Amino acid sequence: MRRWIGIVVALFLFAWGCTSYSNTERSKSQIAFGASVARQGLWREAAFRFEQAIAKDPGNARAHNNLAVALEASGEFARALVEYKKALDLAPNDTYIRRNYARFAEFYTSYTRTTGKAASAS
Amino acid sequence: MHRRLSLLAALLLCASSALGGVSQVRLKLPLKPRLPLRGNERIVLAPFLIVTETEKARDKRLANVDLQGEFHRFLKKQLEKKTKLEVTEAPSDLKLPTQNLTELSRATEFWRAVGATANADIVVSGSLEFRIEDRSGYKTEEYISPINGQTYYRQVYVEQTGFLFDIVFLVFDGRSGERLLQDEFKDFRQTGGRRADELQGLFENLFSLENQILNLFVAREREADRYIFTD
Repeated sequence: MRRWIGIVVALFLFAWGCTSYSNTERSKSQIAFGASVARQGLWREAAFRFEQAIAKDPGNARAHNNLAVALEASGEFARALVEYKKALDLAPNDTYIRRNYARFAEFYTSYTRTTGKAASAS
Repeated sequence: MHRRLSLLAALLLCASSALGGVSQVRLKLPLKPRLPLRGNERIVLAPFLIVTETEKARDKRLANVDLQGEFHRFLKKQLEKKTKLEVTEAPSDLKLPTQNLTELSRATEFWRAVGATANADIVVSGSLEFRIEDRSGYKTEEYISPINGQTYYRQVYVEQTGFLFDIVFLVFDGRSGERLLQDEFKDFRQTGGRRADELQGLFENLFSLENQILNLFVAREREADRYIFTD
């Protein structure tokens, strides 16, 4: 009986491991595809891909950063701010994310000062 | 041996996935106009106050620059070229009621009259300051001796001229005379040599402020670099 329980637990752990591994991999492939379309200026498609990556792997700071950039490029600044903050929470020491956020913050401050509101700009 | 190699390979794989790829992308960010305009309003350019310090006013180089005329010409040309606003100039004999910027911004009756005379929706005025600053002087420079190869420090005389341009924009509603906006833009350019041309300096300042000035009236774009991860 104990042996069977052991086998079931082992199988469960193996299946769970495989699922999480494949989610991470799928998330990576979405990021890669999103980045390639982003470089062509197709920001809506890129944002969709990065959202898919986050759905697969919510703790992926890179995906949150990329989504923030895509949202910024699409003029959705309020949402971009939220994503930048999530990325920073997940990877507070990442130089690229910190640099992106600093530059965005500078722009966004001036933008909200200009328009007098911090609401979505979309 | 095999175990060590596989451990190394695993470590390398982990490291490469942690570093990942990063790519720099350039975004064009929209900048909304500062004034809530439809875009086809009739706009009148009124005179600007010219700010001069007594000592600086003696600078002969400034005498060559018709600041009011050059700025009006620049602003009119830019607005006509890059917006759909209908631009007119106030009559040349129009005198400002005061030489004080704060009082000027509160002269509601005066601006309403200017707006009514020109049949304009918007009246633009403010103040202009253009300064030429001689920044020549001695500076410490590193020097490596060709004889003994040692590093020394020496004082060298460097000639530099700075051009400072400061604009305060006052924008009024042509119907009510109420102030709609007040904003200030500053630019400083430095060039080598003491005999730098003052008009060239002025236009260097103006062209660097062009985007900000136009953004008062129309939407503009600003380029910005960001990093995206590629995996």
